[in-house]
Amino acid sequence: METPVLKVTNLSKTIKKKEIIKDISFQLNKGEVLGFLGPNGAGKSTTLRMLVGLSRPSAGTISICGHGIGDDFVQAMSHVGCIIEGPDLYEYLSGYKNLELLGAMSPQVTRAAIDEAIALVGMEKRIHDKVSIYSMGMKQRIGLAQALIHQPDLLILDEPTNGLDPQGIHEFREIVKSLAKDTGISVLISSHLISEVQLMCDRVRIINQGIIVRDGAVTEMLSTGEIVWVLNNPYHGQKILSEQFQLDARITAQNELIAATDLEILPIINAALISSGLELKTVTTKNTTLEELFLSLTNQKTIQ
Amino acid sequence: MLNLIRNEVTKLLLKKKLILIIGLLIIFITLLSYGQQYTYEKNIDRFENLSGAGTYDWKSLASQRLNDLEKRLDSPYIPADGIASIEIEIKQLRYFIDNDINPITPSAAKFSVDFVEQGISLLIPLIIVILAADLVSGEFSTGTIKVLLTRAVPRWKILLSKLIALLLMTTLVVLIMGLLATLISYLFFGQWGFDEPVATGFRLIDGQLNADAVILVSRFEYTILIYSLTWYVAIVIAALTLLISIIVDNTVSAIGVLMAALIGGQFLQFFLSDWPIVKFFFVTNLDLTRYLTGSYQPIPGMSLNFSIITLGIWGLLALLLGFQIFSRKDVLV
Repeated sequence: METPVLKVTNLSKTIKKKEIIKDISFQLNKGEVLGFLGPNGAGKSTTLRMLVGLSRPSAGTISICGHGIGDDFVQAMSHVGCIIEGPDLYEYLSGYKNLELLGAMSPQVTRAAIDEAIALVGMEKRIHDKVSIYSMGMKQRIGLAQALIHQPDLLILDEPTNGLDPQGIHEFREIVKSLAKDTGISVLISSHLISEVQLMCDRVRIINQGIIVRDGAVTEMLSTGEIVWVLNNPYHGQKILSEQFQLDARITAQNELIAATDLEILPIINAALISSGLELKTVTTKNTTLEELFLSLTNQKTIQ
Repeated sequence: MLNLIRNEVTKLLLKKKLILIIGLLIIFITLLSYGQQYTYEKNIDRFENLSGAGTYDWKSLASQRLNDLEKRLDSPYIPADGIASIEIEIKQLRYFIDNDINPITPSAAKFSVDFVEQGISLLIPLIIVILAADLVSGEFSTGTIKVLLTRAVPRWKILLSKLIALLLMTTLVVLIMGLLATLISYLFFGQWGFDEPVATGFRLIDGQLNADAVILVSRFEYTILIYSLTWYVAIVIAALTLLISIIVDNTVSAIGVLMAALIGGQFLQFFLSDWPIVKFFFVTNLDLTRYLTGSYQPIPGMSLNFSIITLGIWGLLALLLGFQIFSRKDVLV
């Protein structure tokens, strides 16, 4: 089997006797975009900091492309690019100089690689201006370029769209999505913004109070296994469903008919509804919103 | 590694600290040289008015003193250990008379030594603090430390590159200080004075000034010696500043801590000079150059060697501790 790009095993972190991260394990495969979702203070940032070696785990191991971060830091980090809480740049230098300084820290970074990263984030025109006069969106782009110049296999983004306007969020999202598609880079994004994770990620892990409370593909998580029919006479439909298919259907306030069923027998059900003379307007699968799911999983009233 | 050092030097240079420091030095040196020239002229004036002679004839006074000394040397009753110091004074007087230089004339060489002698315990440490206080703490305040520590470079290398860059810049600052002091004061005094003989090597033995080991060196050699000591002090201060900068991770507090240590240390020395432990504090040992002129001993048991070793230990411990803390620190900014 292929070595996972990131493998986290039994990771824990205790800061000042408070257990922030409680024994979490997960892995990330090549090309996967994983979302790390959780409310503020859930331990997202703490986990990400441990992944990039800024903070030391109290227990557990982290390995990146097969290199343990504790015992082979340099090898492990050569595969990682990251932005941890906002783009951190030298304000008194130009964007280009920032990239040049960081590029000089990795042996494989060439001038061409820097130019390529700049082109990728679309900053060619303003790259020689001082960072102190950049907008937040521009800084974030340089931050991303900075994370990409050494062509990492794993990109770790901590709250990447904090402080960006909707336009900036959209652009940033498009860049990351196309990156994942074109280069096969694995991406780990932490966020408390549900829509962001929903739009960018294949899989999502919901973390709350230091533990992973839910783990799965976004589409899987959202599907409830229920079907929604919109009919001219839902009560008649309800009768047909219970008599012919033994399905327990309910009717919503919007006169929608909802029942849990297998997708395989759906065409037969639909045919039966139509042949009984009902007007079938739409048939859809019912999705819960990630927001509902998130709230139900992370519902907490007190800070512990 | 070379790349890392180049990065750190670039950052230090582009922060324009060096310009600030050079600016400060130019202001101080200009004021002090002007002041010294002014006092000198005042003194000459006063002397001329007092003697009523109209001109101040230092040469005849010096020749008189020279004759006296030579006569004394011929005397059979003079104790053996007095001969050396008399011979030295004779050599110095000869130099002034032969070169037609008034011994009290300020010269660029003399000023450049005076300047660091005065500044070595406060001004120079403060300049180094300006240079070094934000070296690590600044990266914490701006968050750039995260970018630096998430590259494929071990932490000790990052810190080592910072240290080497700091040592280079400290050396540069001491050199610039010497050059500025010499050049600016020359503009005022019009005298270089680098070949003037200077007596050094006085020792304090049982509270008595001992001149047995005194030797004559040229002002030039003496200046080099003084600046080497200054450089050493600057390096130790740089190491200590780096340590504080690592511990405090906030530039303003780092500067505060160091200023408090420097100024508080001077207080300690003033008020608690009976307490032997004070002599092991680094601030008490900063005045290395004053040992050269002889009778300096702020606290019994202190000497040039003692101070050099004490400072060296402080510097090394600061570095050891700094590397330890830096490589273990959890970065939570």
